Amino acid sequence: MRREPIDPSGLEWSRVSPKYLRVRVIGWLIGSLVWLVLASIPLALRLTGVWDSFPALWLAWALPAAVLVMSVWRGVLLPRQVASIGYAERDDDLLVRQGVFFQRTLVVPYGRMQYVDVAVGPLERAYGICTLKLHTAAPATNALIPGLPAEEGTRLREQLSARGEARLAGL
Amino acid sequence: MTPADGPSGALPVPPDGTGGTGGAGAKGADDDAWQRVHVISPLVRGWIVLVAILYFVGRDWFEGLFSAETRGRGPLPEGVGLLLAGGVLLAVVLLVAGAFLVSWYFTRYQVTAEHVRVHSGVVFRQQRQARLDRVQAIDIVQPFLARIFGLAELKFEVADAGESAVRLAFLKLDDAQKLRATILARAAGVSADPDHPEEVVEAPEREVVAIPPGRVIGAAVLSGMTVALVVAAAVIVTLGIVFDTPFIATSFIPLLIGVIGGYWSALNTGYNFRAATSPDGIRIRYGLLDTRAQTVPPGRVQALGIVQPPLWRFKGWYRVTVNVAGYGASASSEGQARATLLPVGTRDEVLQILALVLPDPGTRRPVEVFTEGLVGKDDGEGFVTTPRRARWLAPLAWRRNGFAVTGTALLLRSGVLWRQLVVVPHERTQSISLHQGPVSRRVGVSDLQLQTTPGPVSARVVLADSATAWQLFHGQAERAAEARRRSGPEQWMKPVQAVPTGAAGPVTANEVTDSVGAPIPLDTSAASDTSAASDVPTASDVPTASDVPTASDASAAGPPPADGPVREVMPAVPRYVPAPSESEVSADGPR
Repeated sequence: MRREPIDPSGLEWSRVSPKYLRVRVIGWLIGSLVWLVLASIPLALRLTGVWDSFPALWLAWALPAAVLVMSVWRGVLLPRQVASIGYAERDDDLLVRQGVFFQRTLVVPYGRMQYVDVAVGPLERAYGICTLKLHTAAPATNALIPGLPAEEGTRLREQLSARGEARLAGL
Repeated sequence: MTPADGPSGALPVPPDGTGGTGGAGAKGADDDAWQRVHVISPLVRGWIVLVAILYFVGRDWFEGLFSAETRGRGPLPEGVGLLLAGGVLLAVVLLVAGAFLVSWYFTRYQVTAEHVRVHSGVVFRQQRQARLDRVQAIDIVQPFLARIFGLAELKFEVADAGESAVRLAFLKLDDAQKLRATILARAAGVSADPDHPEEVVEAPEREVVAIPPGRVIGAAVLSGMTVALVVAAAVIVTLGIVFDTPFIATSFIPLLIGVIGGYWSALNTGYNFRAATSPDGIRIRYGLLDTRAQTVPPGRVQALGIVQPPLWRFKGWYRVTVNVAGYGASASSEGQARATLLPVGTRDEVLQILALVLPDPGTRRPVEVFTEGLVGKDDGEGFVTTPRRARWLAPLAWRRNGFAVTGTALLLRSGVLWRQLVVVPHERTQSISLHQGPVSRRVGVSDLQLQTTPGPVSARVVLADSATAWQLFHGQAERAAEARRRSGPEQWMKPVQAVPTGAAGPVTANEVTDSVGAPIPLDTSAASDTSAASDVPTASDVPTASDVPTASDASAAGPPPADGPVREVMPAVPRYVPAPSESEVSADGPR
């Protein structure tokens, strides 16, 4: 993984499971398909002659085409997006990074943690991964680590809870 | 009208027939007993329902009078019908009153050494328990009608951002104040006097800021509402002239209603505003019809923002808002007023409030640093601003956008028209995130955001040099960890040696010479000990050298008998002192 400009140096990022990419690809395929079908409705109506008054044929074609281009672009980005997700456990805090174009690096001190969520959806369960979310007293803290292998998620949850207890600082 | 915290008014309070009413901490052994709120609270809470019923019934009857003349029918049903109608009305009123009464009967509360518990509900029972040392703020609210009856509502806030954990509506004002004192004393970790466990005295307080009503009105007039009104008026008049339709003038009416409502809310929440310091934290009171007394214990302010709308610049006024975990981010005028520590104040008053919130500014030049943050631009006093190469991203604000780090807090400065300074104590940082978009990456700048609890203050550094931002990000995480290790206990008076500075009892000559008495001016008379000890007189846990003799003097002078806990010592007013002019080098650099 290429080092990004705002990454802290001297840190070993843990990357998420490659299976997460498959989950994301499946989600992306389903989502794209739904959008494409929705965007194709005017075209279908126009071609079947139900809706003749549609302004122009090129517009009816342009709509699904635009959706298709957007979807392909998002699909191309997906591997890089997934690869850009990383987390690092330091002595006092947890770092989470994400994003390709709009990058974000977040640091959450263990003592600030209020609770940890581990969520598993049906697709994620099929691939044996989970999503971990860390909550602090600030709702704006968006410490989300998706695509963790199930055992890693459990380990991290226990680890975070133990460290949070050790460094408990209230508010 | 008595202010929220004044002595219980001379207004008649109906005798309570229940015996279990109020009386928090009144009878030592009964302290842990279950109690109910005042018996007439259902009336105060439910009056609006009764008024609504009477209004609808009364309106029908009233309209009946007129229709009787026009249609020749009797205004009221006669004989049995009249009795029946009256009976139904009575039954409805009794039913509503009964429902409130039953709800009142089933609502009980209890304050133990560690918890406050409330049981409520008739069909769906609820039992709630909140830890006292988790208190984030305590409010005593007196809505207008409750004031008439001499009652008050007590709100106990924990860090759940919004809904009050415990609301006791209503108690007698005396009882509410006693209960507040009890809760605060226990939350502070003060052990009760074993001989008189029931005698929990309200911590003494010293007023530091009082805002004259004239200034509140002036502030409302100079606020954005007036600008909006003038602009809208100009638009309406122009449209009226251009299209020659005088009827458009009627659109003034909703506009006026809105603006007058805004003015009223500003006046109602800013009127008689007073801020005081006490060992239990900052205490503010305000209100015209509804009065409110808020207590925010030490270390509960998560972030503080100082804003100056453009028109206030002529008068040098600022508004101070805070994020307190229990208050949440409510958009209502009440919610906004609660999160306002100073609705409109001069720069000296702002610095005074800052000194209360942040007794140790972490710099030897607090006045200069904070003033630079309020009005300054470029890199004075350790501020780091947006690099010149990124100025096209913020052509107006780039010289002002910046941050500075002191030993105890991070200062974030922004805004040219709406000047803003945000102060986040290091130990209150929840998490920090660094953001960079594609354009920022080209220019080599990043944004940094500090997440705090919900509230009006949002702490972010925009367009800082990437390397600098990363250093700040990294350094801030370390400083926050370090500050948390050093930070005081949740129970702010737990350690016995944590003596709040200052003397006991009324203002003594000693204190006056110590420049503690006069509230506002950032007096230099204490500068001698400041320059010597590099320690601004604070109300923090560390007694400064100058404070020790003061405290002993006070005890020698004979404090009131049987005041065991040091909490009852009158607090000194922490105050920032300008650095002596000969020290030209600021002690705090960036990072």
